[in-house]
Amino acid sequence: MLLNTTQNPPEQTVHIIDDDEALRDSLIWLLETEGHTVATYPSAEDFLLAWSPEMRGCALLDVRMPGMSGLELFEKLLTLHNTLPIIFITGHGDVPMAVTALKKGAIDFIEKPFNDRDMLKLIEQCLSIDREKHSQWRQNAETARRREQLTGREREVLELIVAGRLNKQIADDLGISIKTVEVHRARVMEKMGVASLAELVQLVMAAEVRR
Amino acid sequence: MRIPPPSSHRSTSPSRFYWTAPYVAVVLFALAMFVLVWILQRHEAEIERNALMRDVQWADQTIQTHFIANERFLAQLARDIAIDEMTAETFQARANQYLANNLELLNIVWIDASGAMRWAAPLDTEDWLPGDVLSPTQGQIARLARELGRAAYGLPYRTSHGTTQMEVVLPVNRGRSPHGFIVAEYSIEGLLRHLVSPWFSEKYYLRLIDGTGETLVANAASPHINPTLSPLIVFDPPGNGLALRVAALNTDTSPSKVLPIVLIVGLSVLVFWSLWALRSHIDSRTRAERERDQLFDVSLDMLCTLTMGGAYRRVNPACERTLGYPSEQLVGHPLYELVHPDDQADMRLALARLADGAACTFEARVRCADGSYKWLVWNANPVPNDQVIYAVAHDITKRKATEEAWRAESAFRKAMEQSVRTGLRATDLHGCVIYANPAFCDLVGYKHDEIIGLRVPFPYWPDEDVPRNMEIMLAGKIPPEGEETRIQRKDGRQVDVQIMISPLIDSAGVQTGWMTAMSDITESKRIRAELEAAQERFVAVLDGLDTAVYVADARTDSILYANRALLANFGAHALGSSTYSLSLPQPERGDYPVDPRHLQHDALPFELFDGELQQALTGRWYHVRERATRWVDGRIVRMVIATDITDRKQVAELNRQQEERLQQTSRLITLGEMASTLAHELNQPLSAIANYSSGCVNRLQSGRYKPEELLSAMQKTSHQADRAGKILRRIRDFVRKSEPRLAAIQLADVVEDALGFAEIDARKYGVRIDNEIPSALPAVHADRIMIEQVVLNLVRNAAEAMHATPGAERVVKVHALLKEQMLEVSVSDRGHGVSAEDRDKLFTAFYTTKPDGMGMGLNICRSIIEFHNGRLWAEDNPGGGCIFRFTLPLEHAFEHHAEPA
Repeated sequence: MLLNTTQNPPEQTVHIIDDDEALRDSLIWLLETEGHTVATYPSAEDFLLAWSPEMRGCALLDVRMPGMSGLELFEKLLTLHNTLPIIFITGHGDVPMAVTALKKGAIDFIEKPFNDRDMLKLIEQCLSIDREKHSQWRQNAETARRREQLTGREREVLELIVAGRLNKQIADDLGISIKTVEVHRARVMEKMGVASLAELVQLVMAAEVRR
Repeated sequence: MRIPPPSSHRSTSPSRFYWTAPYVAVVLFALAMFVLVWILQRHEAEIERNALMRDVQWADQTIQTHFIANERFLAQLARDIAIDEMTAETFQARANQYLANNLELLNIVWIDASGAMRWAAPLDTEDWLPGDVLSPTQGQIARLARELGRAAYGLPYRTSHGTTQMEVVLPVNRGRSPHGFIVAEYSIEGLLRHLVSPWFSEKYYLRLIDGTGETLVANAASPHINPTLSPLIVFDPPGNGLALRVAALNTDTSPSKVLPIVLIVGLSVLVFWSLWALRSHIDSRTRAERERDQLFDVSLDMLCTLTMGGAYRRVNPACERTLGYPSEQLVGHPLYELVHPDDQADMRLALARLADGAACTFEARVRCADGSYKWLVWNANPVPNDQVIYAVAHDITKRKATEEAWRAESAFRKAMEQSVRTGLRATDLHGCVIYANPAFCDLVGYKHDEIIGLRVPFPYWPDEDVPRNMEIMLAGKIPPEGEETRIQRKDGRQVDVQIMISPLIDSAGVQTGWMTAMSDITESKRIRAELEAAQERFVAVLDGLDTAVYVADARTDSILYANRALLANFGAHALGSSTYSLSLPQPERGDYPVDPRHLQHDALPFELFDGELQQALTGRWYHVRERATRWVDGRIVRMVIATDITDRKQVAELNRQQEERLQQTSRLITLGEMASTLAHELNQPLSAIANYSSGCVNRLQSGRYKPEELLSAMQKTSHQADRAGKILRRIRDFVRKSEPRLAAIQLADVVEDALGFAEIDARKYGVRIDNEIPSALPAVHADRIMIEQVVLNLVRNAAEAMHATPGAERVVKVHALLKEQMLEVSVSDRGHGVSAEDRDKLFTAFYTTKPDGMGMGLNICRSIIEFHNGRLWAEDNPGGGCIFRFTLPLEHAFEHHAEPA
């Protein structure tokens, strides 16, 4: 059983990786009650096979499993530039391991046996982080796509504008006439889909920061 | 004996007076003479002074007369000029004539009433020129003269020619009106030269002094003057304070003045010297007398004078001291009265000879005051002219006693030398025999006469030893304990001897030869050789032992003997040091039944200790036996034998520890991990139950649910609760059973339970466990918990062994099959495997390949399996890794075996 989906998949899915069948099954039962889409995997290897960068939602990861452990899987995902927020499920005595994971970027860990309220709250938190990340990603992708449409000269002009140069200075820098700069500038504004200089700078800077 | 102090200065005071008086007399005489001379000289000086005063008065008179005469002449001139009886020619003639007679006057001039010079005599004078007027100084004098109406003198002054002059001015009056002045010039030098007669000038030192005391002219340069006599002649009124000072010129001190003093001093010294010479001569005579008396008094020898008849006349204190009689008691008594009756004959004979005038010496015993006798030797010398005998006696009692003792000593020595068994031989420095005792003669077999006078090399030296013996004899070098050598007797038999050579020193401390002692050691040498051989055997045996053996003094604990094993193990310096200063394994003093230091001889031999002790330093164990016994020199010693039993002990200890750890480990495996296991295992079902329940509650609350869905969830919940219950039961069983309880058990159940625990480790190491036990297997006869532990241990080891294996291959397989009435269980892994040589050690205690392992697990497992009459071993997994197999007897086979019994 690689993928266990019991509901029409919405945009976000809760991925559960645990070797104990009873735990997986009970979690599906609990989370679907709350209206989440749940996918379960009996081992880390199974999850890796199913993983794709487009995956949305969050992952609940058991620290200790036969074969690849939860921590090993987490480190593997880090190398794959995974954006999926991850929560660790730990058993008795695994807390130090979970803290290590936390330091490396896991969202949180939850100790078995867990309180369902805490669990659901944590999952909610993760999903909202994921949503935010996703919208940013989409915006960046859009900015990047628009920048792709610019010609070489327009890209140069854009960079100088963002750097705060005046039209006259840009003309000097590039060795072209002010008229030409103004034409390029108008094109850039149009292609980037902004109405003002401030909007343009904000868009470009935000993309730079997130990159 | 106390010597009375010499009474030498008894008559000191009168003799000092006798000696002082002449000295005082001489001094007084000399003083009187000095006074006399002084008085005479003073009288002479008085006479001289009177003469001087007379002369001075005379001179005064003369000079005054001159001045008055000159004034009169000048006054006469003035009068003549006033009455115009004078012409220039008469003035010249009179004045020049007067000037020629009175050389102290230089010139005379007339100054007329108008104040100009009119006449001057002599004519060629340079002091005045016609027409000259009076100088202011002269004017002053002139006014003074006018006022006085008589001659006025000016102050002496020094002219440009270096002469000193003085002016006298007389007024010339015509009637009552002034008619100029007569001015005359005195030469001060001329005054002294011409007014004083030459004899006076020769006799005295004359000085003309002005009013201020300054010397104007003197008749000698720096004369020797007598300062006490210098009267002053004042010319008053002529000069203003002009005066003549006269001083007597000192004539040479006449010898007549000095001579008496010299004579007085010289004679006094002569008298003193003769007195002193006389005194020293008398002193030496007195001292000689005193010394003679003292000699007589303090002499330690008895000195006395006797009458020719032999009676004491005078005796010295030594006689009193020696004999004890006061001198009064002795004097007058004849000499022989006190002499011992045995010596009286000799005494009378000696006295008879003395009476003949011959000096003689004799010895006699004399009775002392206390009744004892003393030996005295007398030296007597008669002086027939004085009818007296001088005698000196000397106490020789001690010498007599010494002589007696020496004689006895000499006899004793002689006897000793004759009887001693050691041969004694003395040689002089040239190696010539000067003495040999009978024992020596016997030893070498030569007669005494043959030996005396022999020279090196001696005939009893074996020929081959001659060079070495020569060397010894010449150098005199031989160790103090002696040297062994051989001699050849006259009969040709060779004998081993011990010789000792020492220098022969005479009473003056000079070496005169060598003394040789020689003893026969043939027999003792043989005995010693035998003893040495026995000793060597004994030492060889003791040193050959590995066991440390030593003997220590029971009282001081110092080690008297130690064999090689002890020296090697506990320090080569052990001999002589205390046993407690070494790290020997030995009981504390309190551990002995009695304190060894207080053991008595009658209790020996005594068993002090027999037990095992650990040496604190090395931790090695020794079996120590101590026994008190009597040592060769009679003292009580502890004889100790310490055998190293560490190895034996270690094996026993190892066995014991192994046993202990077996139990410990079982408990660790069961109890130690109980809490962890429980928590881990219960987490899973409890989490699932919580999830199912929460899900149900949520759905029921929302109202969106299907009953069959809820049912399924509730069933699953119940199933998980069951699972939790099983876990708890399993642990409870584990805890309850501690005694081995053999029963018929199903292996599959046992393995399942064990894997339940093993899963924790499996998860930790990311290992999968495949349980491949067939379900239908016959029961085995075993203790369930013990077998569970074995399986758990093997599976755990397998899981740990695969830490380096790739994840997918991390599988532990548990399998079982029937084999000849036994069930064989195998646990295989894909780990690093075990090398062939390690495999042999795997099951020994304390062997481990794990970094934190104790090395007990497999050892215990094998113990458990062997307890069940099974077998546990390891072999290589053909696919890599290792397989552990063990066998267990089947239940029915066991019954089959057990029934006959």
